[in-house]
Amino acid sequence: MYIYKSGIKVIDDALGGLESGTNILILVPSLSSGDRIGYTISKPKNGEFSIILSTDQPSADIEETLGLTPFQRTHTGIIDTVTKLMSPEAADSVRVKYVPSASDLTGIGIKFTRMVEEIFRGDFSEDELEIFPPPIRFYINSLSTLLMYRRVEVLYQFLHVITTKLKKMEALGVYVLNKESFDERTLSLMKQLMNVVIDVKKDSNQEFLSINGLSAITPDWIAYQFEDGNLVMK
Amino acid sequence: MLRTGISGIDEMLGGGIPGESKVLVSMEPGVDGGLFMATTLVDALSRDRTCLVVIPTSTRDAFREEILSTKGVDIHTRPDRIITLDSRTREDIRKNIRDHSQRLAEWKRVICSACTENNVDVAFIYFDLFYEDFGLDGALSVLEMTGVDKKPVVVVEHLNLEGDTFIEDLASAGLFDLVFSIKASYTGVPFFNFLTVEHISWTQLPRRSVPYLISDGTIRLYIPKIIVTGPPASGKTTFVNNASEYGISTDRNDFRGSSTTVAMDLGWVHLKGFDISIYGTPGKPRFDPILPQLFKCAMGAVLIIDVTRPETLDRARQLLTMIQQALLPVVLVANKSDLPYTLGKEEIRRILNLPEDTIITFISATRSSDVSCVVEDLVEQIIMFPY
Ligand SMILES: Nc1nc2c(ncn2[C@@H]2O[C@H](COP(=O)(O)OP(=O)(O)OP(=O)(O)O)[C@@H](O)[C@H]2O)c(=O)[nH]1
Ligand SMILES: [Mg+2]
Repeated sequence: MYIYKSGIKVIDDALGGLESGTNILILVPSLSSGDRIGYTISKPKNGEFSIILSTDQPSADIEETLGLTPFQRTHTGIIDTVTKLMSPEAADSVRVKYVPSASDLTGIGIKFTRMVEEIFRGDFSEDELEIFPPPIRFYINSLSTLLMYRRVEVLYQFLHVITTKLKKMEALGVYVLNKESFDERTLSLMKQLMNVVIDVKKDSNQEFLSINGLSAITPDWIAYQFEDGNLVMK
Repeated sequence: MLRTGISGIDEMLGGGIPGESKVLVSMEPGVDGGLFMATTLVDALSRDRTCLVVIPTSTRDAFREEILSTKGVDIHTRPDRIITLDSRTREDIRKNIRDHSQRLAEWKRVICSACTENNVDVAFIYFDLFYEDFGLDGALSVLEMTGVDKKPVVVVEHLNLEGDTFIEDLASAGLFDLVFSIKASYTGVPFFNFLTVEHISWTQLPRRSVPYLISDGTIRLYIPKIIVTGPPASGKTTFVNNASEYGISTDRNDFRGSSTTVAMDLGWVHLKGFDISIYGTPGKPRFDPILPQLFKCAMGAVLIIDVTRPETLDRARQLLTMIQQALLPVVLVANKSDLPYTLGKEEIRRILNLPEDTIITFISATRSSDVSCVVEDLVEQIIMFPY
C-alpha cells in the first residue's frame, strides 16, 4: 500500500505518513491559516500528482500563492470554479480546467475525471509515470463554498461517490471546511465521510491543530505555524 | 426524428428519437458523459432545429465556450436557433419570488413561453438544480411542458447521486420514452465508461450496456472484444486480417511449411458506429488452455468452419459449446465457399445442433466485403442480444 507523506511531522514520525485511500477533513475557524494545512498535505512529492478544486480563488492566484517548485508545478492540476464567472472564454488546458460555477457538481466530476485520466495515461506531465497507479492527492478548497451552493444532503451523496472513487484509485483526499459557518448536523455528515479529522483552533495569535482518527496519535492540541511555507510544530 | 448525433446509438434506436419524446441521460458523478447532450445539441442545430437550453448551473457564454472547446462548434452562429435560460434566470427567480411553489410556476411559465415564442423543436434541460430546488415531483413537472402547443423533444441531463434503483424506478415509471444511464467502472484502467439503454418506449430493445471512448470530442461506442474461432486452418487468421483496418497475427510456420496461429490474431475495425476489437483464436486443440482467457469479456463470437472439410465439424461443435457456455451471441461462417464443396446449410445446422435463429453465412474469408458483412451481422446480434 502506498504511503503519502503528510508534511505534518507528528503524523509522518508516528506512521510514516497517510495510507492511500485516506480522506482527511480539516475543520477550520474563520480567518485562520487552516486552508494552508490543506495545501501542505496536498503538495505532490516525487512521483506523485495533485489536483486542487478551487472554489474561492481563481487558478491564476493559487499558482502564485502556492510557491510551488518546478516539479510541483508540473505535477499539480487545478479545477477552477471561479474564473468562468468573469471570463467565460477561459479554455481548459492540461493543468487548469474550468467549471462554470461551484454549483455545477456534474462539471466538477467530469473535469476531475478528465484530469485523473490524463495522469493515468501519462499525458499530464512530461515525466514517465514512476509509480502505478500514480499517487494522486486531491484537495477541495473548500467544502464551505460547495455547501453555500448545494444542500448538504446532495453534497454528502456527491462526496460519498468521490471519496469511494479516491479509495479505489489509492489516492488521498483532503477537504477543508469552515466549522463556524455550519450547524452541527452538517459538520457531522461531512465527518462521516472521512477517516481523519484535523481540527484547528485559534487563541489570540496562536493556532493549534488536533488530529483525530489515527490510532497511533492522541488528539492533543498542538501549536503550529508556517515557516517558509512549511508547517512547523512548536 | 431527432438524431442523437452519436453513430451507433442512432442505429440502436432505429434512426433516432421520435418527436415529442422525453429522454433522460443519467450520469454517475465523475463520469465523462456531458458530451451526450452536447453532441445531440450540436447535431440538432446543424439540422436547423430550434433549441432551448435550460442550464441553471452555468451562464450562456460559459456554456457556449464549453461546447466550443469540446466539440469545436460555436452554437451561437445562428442566434435565432438557440435560446438559453441560465444561472441568471435562476437568480432572478430566486430574488424576485419568495414562495417555493410560485418559483416553480415561474420556471414553467418562462420555459413554456420560450418554447411557444420561438417554436422550439428540442429542449435540453439540466435537471440537477431543479431537482434540488423543487424535489423530484416538482422537477419532473417542469418537463411536462404544459401549455406548449407544439411539444418539443425534451432531453434531460441528470446527475444520479442515488444509485441504480433510482434510475430503474424512473425508467419503469413511464415518464420518459428513453432512459440512458452512463456509468464508469474502475478496473485496472480507471473509469472505463459505458452507456446503458435502461428503457425505450418505441421499439423492442433489450437492456443493453455498451462501453464508449471519447476521442477529440466524439463519443465512440466500443465493442471491446469479438472472438473469431473455429477448427484448425478454417480461415480465422484470414478472416481477422480481412476484417481489420489494422491488425497483427502471431503465426508460425510448422515443419511442413504452412503457418498456424500460436497465440492469437488481433484486429481493429470501425463499423456501424462502433470501434471493435477482433480476436482470432488459435485453432489447434493444444492451445485450448488459453481459450477461456480469450473468451473472457467478449461480447460476441464468429465460429468459422471450412465447408470443404466436413470432418472438422466435430471440433467446431466443441468450440460452439464453449461459446454457448460463455453466453455469447454467435454467427456461423461457412468459409472457403469459393472452392468446390458439398456441405449444405441444413446439414451444418444438424451436425452442429445449431439453434434455428443462428445465422449461417457462406463466404470466402479472402474477400473483405464478405468478412465485413459477417461482422455487421454480429454487431446487429450484439445490439439485440439480451445478456
Ligand atoms: N480458397 C480459400 N482459401 C482460404 C480461405 N480462407 C482461408 N484460406 C486458406 O486456408 C489456409 C488457412 O487459413 P488461416 O487463415 O491461416 O486459418 P486459421 O484458421 O487461422 O488456421 P490456424 O491458426 O492454424 O488454426 C490458408 O492457406 C488460407 O490461405 C478462403 O476463403 N478460400
Ligand atoms: Mg490462424
